[in-house]
Formats: sequence, structure tokens, C-alpha cells
Amino acid sequence: MAGSGAPIIQLRGIGKSYANISALRGVDLSVRQGEVTCILGDNGAGKSTLISIIAGLHPHDSGDYLVDGQPRKFSSPREALNLGIAAVYQTLALVPLLPVWRNFFLGSEIELGRGPLRRLDRAKMQDVTRNELHRMGIDLANLEQPVGTLSGGQRQVVAIARAVHFGARVLILDEPTAALGVAQSGLVLRYISQAARSQGIGVIFITHNPHHAFLVGDHFIVLARGEVGLDMPRADLTLDNLMFHMAGGKGLSALEHEIQGERTASAQAAPKAVGPT
Amino acid sequence: MMTVTTEKTDVEVPRHVPQVAALWRRIATRPEAGALGGAILVYVFFFVTAPPFRHFAAFTTVLYQAATIGIPAVAVALLMIGGEFDLSAGVAVTMSSLASSIFATKLGVGLVGGAILSLLLSLAIGALNGWLLIRTKLHSFLVTLATFLMLQGLNIAITKLVTGNVATSDISAMPGFNQLQTIFASNIVIGGAQISIAIVYWLVFMALATWVLLRTKVGNWIFAVGGQGDSARAVGVPVVQVKIGLFMLVGFSCWFLGQHLLYAYNTVQSGAGIGNELLYIAASVVGGCLLTGGYGSAVGSALGAFIFGMTTEGVIYADWDPDWFQFFVGAMLLLATVVNTWIRLRATKGK
Amino acid sequence: MNVTKFSKIAIACASASVGAILAMSGHAVAASKPLTFAMITHAQPGDTFWDIIRKGANAAAAKDNVKLIYLADPTADKEAQLIDNVVQQHVDGIALTLAFPQAMEKNVKEAEAAGIPIVGFNAGGDDWKKAGLLMYVGQDETIAGKAVGDKLNAEGAKSVLCVDQQQGAVQLEERCNGIKATFKGKYQILYTTGYDMPTVKSRVQAKLQQDPSIDYVVTLGAPFAPSVLGAISAAGGKAKLGTFDLTPEAVNLIKAGKLQWAIDQQPYVEGYEAVDLLWLNKTNGDVVGGGGPLLTGPAFVTKANVAEVAKFAKAGTR
Repeated sequence: MAGSGAPIIQLRGIGKSYANISALRGVDLSVRQGEVTCILGDNGAGKSTLISIIAGLHPHDSGDYLVDGQPRKFSSPREALNLGIAAVYQTLALVPLLPVWRNFFLGSEIELGRGPLRRLDRAKMQDVTRNELHRMGIDLANLEQPVGTLSGGQRQVVAIARAVHFGARVLILDEPTAALGVAQSGLVLRYISQAARSQGIGVIFITHNPHHAFLVGDHFIVLARGEVGLDMPRADLTLDNLMFHMAGGKGLSALEHEIQGERTASAQAAPKAVGPT
Repeated sequence: MMTVTTEKTDVEVPRHVPQVAALWRRIATRPEAGALGGAILVYVFFFVTAPPFRHFAAFTTVLYQAATIGIPAVAVALLMIGGEFDLSAGVAVTMSSLASSIFATKLGVGLVGGAILSLLLSLAIGALNGWLLIRTKLHSFLVTLATFLMLQGLNIAITKLVTGNVATSDISAMPGFNQLQTIFASNIVIGGAQISIAIVYWLVFMALATWVLLRTKVGNWIFAVGGQGDSARAVGVPVVQVKIGLFMLVGFSCWFLGQHLLYAYNTVQSGAGIGNELLYIAASVVGGCLLTGGYGSAVGSALGAFIFGMTTEGVIYADWDPDWFQFFVGAMLLLATVVNTWIRLRATKGK
Repeated sequence: MNVTKFSKIAIACASASVGAILAMSGHAVAASKPLTFAMITHAQPGDTFWDIIRKGANAAAAKDNVKLIYLADPTADKEAQLIDNVVQQHVDGIALTLAFPQAMEKNVKEAEAAGIPIVGFNAGGDDWKKAGLLMYVGQDETIAGKAVGDKLNAEGAKSVLCVDQQQGAVQLEERCNGIKATFKGKYQILYTTGYDMPTVKSRVQAKLQQDPSIDYVVTLGAPFAPSVLGAISAAGGKAKLGTFDLTPEAVNLIKAGKLQWAIDQQPYVEGYEAVDLLWLNKTNGDVVGGGGPLLTGPAFVTKANVAEVAKFAKAGTR
């Protein structure tokens, strides 16, 4: 179940600065086949910088980025994609008015015939879409329905299924559950887990929800102010521990004390404070 | 491992058998469904109220008026699905007639040479519209408004500069005129009614555009580029090429109609064409294109043009007071559009 | 002999002195500052008819050594606005088409208050005096319309269709009303929208199909005549065609016998005289016409006299 073999992606001491402001310093990270690596952190902790380096949007300034042991420096997302590293962004994934199957194959359409008679192989594309979605637990009666009519969770799953189908070995998921309700988040999380375990894909799951992370993660990295604050496998960690680190370590216990103090002062029964959601 | 709570507890979800929806259902959910309803309504209305409208000859007259709007409207519909406008299309039609005539008479390249050079010019103007759009990142409404005004001025200024008049000279005596007239502007007589070849071209263009939109990769890209350009770019769709290509397609359609007008009427007034760009856009929108892009159909634009043709001619067949002409046309279009929207709403609600 | 000699000398002296005076005055005008006139019309851009008017105006301007500003807009409020525009430029005279008398009334009064002489031409034959214009040169559209009505009666027409390309333009309405006044048969009007030829063709075609009894069509502008001929043949009708105004194509159609006649108002003369009358008024205080309009038409161009007109039409001045 856990990650096996050599890492697909390995980052060693990666750093990045924008005009003298250092956004990321000395980040180490490995992604193995079938393993979900969760990257957590507050806003501004460096999560987006890290994923844009991995996905090839921006090159790194220092350190090494190895893919299958080879050092790389990407200048476009296309290069990363060619090595099987695909990013699924929350908003940029799909075209809402376009039918599900057309979205699924957008940019990689299957065609029939030749010359001026070259046309879409609709039957095949619809079949593949239906099968891929069904494998992930989504069964649509009508693949012609616009993606915009699907639920938020279903949309994320379609986007993820598409990346997997087109050969992603490493999937970077940017806050896929951020805008979703409980049930919809569940659908997406189940799919993340399934993509990793049964299809052997390395997943980088970016979130600021430690509950979601702990449900599916094998390895956890908490970023704080551009540096790695915590780097631990699941076996060595509890949810409370993760939340503690997530909220900035000692900062949280200080805050908890303070809030508890106020509440007892106002003589009210206080439920236990919970980390950010 | 599956400790995640989900809305479905079992991975083995029951599988829908993919089934072909009922025909009416499929028609009702198409973008042009509303326009079809509107067209039928207007047709029945005039069929009942205007006896001369019932004749086949009247039908072909209506089709001819519709074709001269519909030919550019097919391309404009594709452009609108791709998320852009072209306000220069109306005067671009006139420009292509003028260019063809002026090249033929003044450059000595003959009528065929004139038509070919005019085609190249029309495509170049389309490409220029697209290129300006990409380079300036302005809305196509502004870019093509500018080219519309510039073309309007150029049409008159250059015609006057070259010919000394504001209309082109009659080209009907030049060699090759008859052959080109056969291609662009001949009439077929069926059952005593003249059917302009423009109608045939219009229907062929509409069929081709529909095929491209629904059955080819490029069609998929057009929808995606208009629906959400950034998403399309992210999955490798060549957004810039698609947009420039669409503007050039509009250029082609304007050229084609321009040649028809030149060979049907022998001479062209350089001030013609102004205002027609709005008819092309209106036909597309009545036919189901969204002003925001990403949705619409080529068949719809044809139905929109047909509704417009029926309305303008129908008012004449019904012999209503000519002073009220524009009012009646506007009222009928409003009626058709309301029915159109009503049908579309019902179709999308009842899914 | 002596007397004749004397008188010859006297005439020579007189003409010489008049010539000298005229030359001096002409010289004085030229030396001080060339006059600036404005010409304001309701022309649609790119219209052959208006281009001929403009050519006439330019010819007069060149001869009189005046600077001519040409402005045009086919809509009522915009044409009225153009008057304000040139008043602010302090032009020395305005030649305008009084196409929308009501809309333009206020602006015309303001120009007159600013002491700018105004000559009307082409449109507004019924209203120019009321509006206070100095002179009017053009065809009296009602008279022209009546002449057409008489012509139609003479040719034995029973039912006429009048094709109006600009609904609401007063001079076109006057033409129609003129026809209606004298024509004895059935009269109908059909509106089209400017130069969109397919629209002209299909609307006329529809009208002829709707009412097969129509045996004569009159277009109010010559550029529309060829399109209407197409409509007549497509409708399978035998209706005859006549038109107001003249274009080179119309001349050819008359020669070929497809167009029965064109009623010519000599637009070149209208443009030319409008500018020249302003110049005469400005430099010599002349007012021409004796309180009436200076008529440039109507004159029928038919197969009988078309050859003479044709050579000028080719040059774009008829």
C-alpha cells in the first residue's frame, strides 16, 4: 500500500526567490509511486511556489529537481506533462459549457478517417470517458451534459480522471477540496486515494485542511514561511500532532490557552478548539 | 483503507446503460431548439395571415433575403461560439466587392484575378482583426469597431481615389463575367420560381459548419476557446490559432457574399453594408449563440436569418401599412425571440 | 460710322472698366482672405448622386477661389448638429439641404443670427422660405413628382409602386406625394433600407408577388434601378420601371430599353450653383430667383435623348 521503489520525483534543497524576497528555502521532497504526499501550510507558506516549480510553471533557483533520477529544470508545463507530471488546478480544469466527454478529451481528441474527412471518434471517446469515470465511482447517464451541470466534486474527479488517463505518473492536486462540502470532498478524497493505490500514481495533495490530508496521506510536509516545518511519514504522526504543526507549532497551544482562559472567565462551557478548516 | 465517508458507500456503483435519448429530447436540448420554434411560429403566422406568402415563389424570395444574411452569419456564429465579435463584417462584404471590381478593372488582372486578390485581402483583414485582438488584448468589440470604421472610410476613399466616383464601374461587359456570374450569382428556375444559387451555398456552408463544430477536433476547440480560453490553453488547445482562424473564416464568408453581390448587381455603392454586421450577430444570437461565447450552433444562425427574412418579407406579403414596416419587423423579431427563450428555458429545466 | 465707332470705343471702355472693377474686387477678395463656405447635406456616405453634387460644389469653389468644408450625415439631429459645428468655425456662408426642416429649424436660426448667409439646395423646396434661407436651388420635388404622375398617366399605367430608400426623408416624401397628386391609378409605397441591394431586390420581389396588378415601379434613387429590374424579372412580372435621378448604369439601362426614363434634377448644377450663389451674395450682395426657387429640374431622360446625356454621365458629372 505504501510507496515503493525509487522516487519518481525528488527535490533536494529547492529554493526560489522573487526579486530578493525568498519564497522557498531548502525544500526536500520525494514522491513515490502509489504514495500520497500531502503538503500543508498556511496562506503564504510557499505552497503555490512549490507546486508551480514541480508543475513547470516557474523554474527553481537553487537545489536539484530530479525526475527518475535525472536533474531537470522546466521552462513550461508542457515539459513537465511530457514526463508525466500533471497539475490539476481548482478553477482552470474544465470548460463548463462543454459536454463531459468533450472536456475529457479536449486537446487530445481521438480521430477517425483521413484528410478532410478526419473526424472525432465519438463512440470511442464516450466509451473511454464512461469507463474512466465509472472506475472512479461516477456514473453519468448522459455524457452530453455540460460539465458545468455536474457537482463540484464530480468536476474535480473528471479533471483528475482526465489527467490520469493521459498518462500522469505524478498528479499535483491544488486544493481540490477547498470549495466543496462534506459529501463532495469525500468523493474527491476517495478518488485521490484510489488513484494512488490502485493505479500506482504518485499524488501531491496540496491542502490546508489537516483532516482531509490525514484521511488519505502517506507522507506529510508542513510548510511555514518558505521552509519545511515538518516532514514525517504517516506512521510517526497523529492527527492532533499534524494539526499542532499545521497551526504553527507552539503558536497554537498559546492560542488555545488564551481562548480557554477567556471562556472560563466568561463561565461558559467551551467545546474544544479546533484547527483551521 | 476506504475509511472515507462518501455519498456513495460502495465503489461498485450500478452502471447506467448508455441509451439514446428520444429524438425530441435531443432536439429540444440543442442550442437552436428555440429558434426552430420561433421560425415555425413566424412561418405559421404569415401562412395564415398573408395568402401570397403561401406560394413557393414567396418562400424562395424569403430564402434569398435570408441567405444574404445567413452566409456571413454562419461564420459569425462560429466566431461568437469562439467567444469573439466582428463588427467589421458588414462593411467587409462591401470591401470585398469593391476590391474585386477595382482589382479587375484597374490592375488588369481580369475578373478571376480580381476575385482571387479580393479573397486574399479579405482573409488578410480577418487575420489582422485576430492578430490585433491577440496583441492588444482588447475586447474584440473594440478592435473590430475600429476596423469597421477604418474599412468604412477606406471603402469610400479608395473607391473615389481610384475610380473618381463613389460606386464601381459596371463590370458586366468584361471577359469572364458570365462564368463568374454562373458561379456566384446564377439562378435556378424551379416551378416558375427563381432560386438564387446563394441559397444553395448558404445551406452548404451551414451543413459544413455544423459538421466541423460537432464532429471535428477543431469544432471541439472552438467551443472550448469560447467557453473558457484559459482551460483550453492549459490542455494544449492552440487558442491563438483558433481565434485568428475564426476571424479569417468570417473574412471568407464576407468575401463570398461580396462576390455574389458584385456579380448579381454588377456595380457596388461604396457606402453599402453598414449596419448589416448587427444583423449577422442578431441572427446568431436569435439562433442560440451566447453573447459570452462557448455555446451556439450554425444551424441556429441559419434559422435566425430565416426568421429575419420571413419577418421582413412577411410584412410585405401581408400588405401591412408600409409606414409601420420597421415597427412590425421589430415586433415580430421580439415575438420570435421570446418564444425562442421560453423554449430554451423549458428544455434546460426539464432535464 | 463715327457714332458706331464712338459707341464701340465707349463699349470697349465700359467693358474694360467693368472688367477692371470686377478684376479688382476679385483680386481684393483673393488677397484679403479666401472665403470659407460650408456644405452640409443629408447624404449617405458613398452615394453616387451626392458625389455628383459634391463635384459640382468643388468646381464652383475652385472657380470662385473659396475654401469649401463638406459635411454630411443622413440622420436629422446629426445634420442639425453639423450647422452648429460650422457656425462655431465662423464660416462665411452655408449651403445646406433642408432635409429635416423641423429638426434643423433652431440651428438654422442660430446661424442666421450669427449673420451667416444660408442657401438651400436639393431638399426643402417647400420649407426654405419659412426657415429664412436666402435662396434655394434644386428641383421642386413636388413638381417633379407631379411630372412623373402625368408621365405615368400618359403611358397608361394602372398601378404604381414607389420604392423609397430612406423612410422619413422629406424630399423623397414630396416626390411620392407629387406622384400621388397627379397619378390616376392605384398608388403604393414600399420602404427599403439604403444600399442593401439584396434587401431592395427581395422586398420589391415580395411586393410584386403580393400584388401582381402593379404594372409600373418608380425608384426614388437611380442606384436601385438595376436591383429592381432583377426583382421584376424574378417575380415574373411585366411591370415597367422609371427612376428619379441618374447614374451611368441608369443611362445604359435607358439605352438598352430596360429602364423607361429617368427624371434628372442635375445634381452637379445644384452643388455648383449653391456655392456660386453664396459667393455672389457674399461678394456682390446678389439674391437670385426673385423670391422663388432656382429650378434645376425636372427633365426627363428617355431613350430619345439619352445619347447626349451619356457622354457626361460617363465622366460622373450627370
